[in-house]
Amino acid sequence: MKTEANKLIEDLLQMTESSGNAARKFKQLEIDQLNFKRSNEEWSILECIEHLNLYGDFYLPEIEKRILESNKKEKSLIFRSGILGNYFANLMKVENGKITKMKAPKDKNPANSKLSVTTIDRFLKQQEMLKSLLVQAKNTDLVKTKTAISLTKFIRLRLGDTFRFLIYHTERHIFQAQRVLQ
Amino acid sequence: MSSEQDFTTNLIASLYKIAEEKVIAKGEFLIREGEVERNLYFIETGAVRAFYLSEFDEQTIRLGYAGSFINSLASFIKGTPSEFYIEAIRKTRIKSITRESFLSIVNENEESRQQYIRLLELLVTQLIDREIDLLTFSPVERLNRVLQRSPHLFQQIPLKYIASYLRMKPETLSRIRNS
Repeated sequence: MKTEANKLIEDLLQMTESSGNAARKFKQLEIDQLNFKRSNEEWSILECIEHLNLYGDFYLPEIEKRILESNKKEKSLIFRSGILGNYFANLMKVENGKITKMKAPKDKNPANSKLSVTTIDRFLKQQEMLKSLLVQAKNTDLVKTKTAISLTKFIRLRLGDTFRFLIYHTERHIFQAQRVLQ
Repeated sequence: MSSEQDFTTNLIASLYKIAEEKVIAKGEFLIREGEVERNLYFIETGAVRAFYLSEFDEQTIRLGYAGSFINSLASFIKGTPSEFYIEAIRKTRIKSITRESFLSIVNENEESRQQYIRLLELLVTQLIDREIDLLTFSPVERLNRVLQRSPHLFQQIPLKYIASYLRMKPETLSRIRNS
């Protein structure tokens, strides 16, 4: 994937905004609806959101640290995906209203944890932090700045791909959460 | 009896005349972030915690148990949205009075106003103590300071919330207590 760096940031900001709006709508539901599970194996709305919070717990501090450490003087205007980064990001994408099913890693599985409406509030705070990181990233090189990933210590992704992965992943589970009550 | 105690005694006496009684189930909120605090609560039985929600965790900032007053104070005074949540950590019976009723007790006469000022002064010194707690580097020292003020804390509040109040992991708190 190749695109203008600032265009990518703007697109991601917009997606983050709409994920936040979707989560704010969930706040109007009753707690029983938020905890409703279609089956034991499927997640409730709050479990979907908490899953995203667990990813945020890892990625937001990691991204913030790498942006702060990055060299602000050089910045390429074009963003080009890495092969792996592009693969991971696209794997998360919602395509034509469909998502491929996957199994969450154990440490990111929220099933049966204690969840309440603060789960959504925490998600909204994380989305605000993410937006502020995206804005800061306008002055950061999205290719040369690299971040760790939660899956393995052996790979580092380009910041632009990490943002894409994280934000597509959020969109994916918001999409899943919106279908719980349908 | 000191004058802030007089005031508190008066306040509790008035509470029993005019306050509304409520039972809050475990996990329910007295107030949530963003709402405006219109009440003062007196805890008859049970326990609550006030916490601040960040992007990454819930930081317990105050604990209330039987016999304590609690509310989201800055919001109550200024009428601004609360920055904190107050959650029942057990089934909790409270008496609540509105800000208006509270102020009419304060302004009943000159003596009650003076007593209220003493109470506010006491509150300020307690907040300074709490500030020093948070600046105290040693976890052991942090625990000792709090136990000096509230010796029965562990009988009232589950360990994980005390740990959060003391800004340490539950495992650290267990280890310190057992050593």
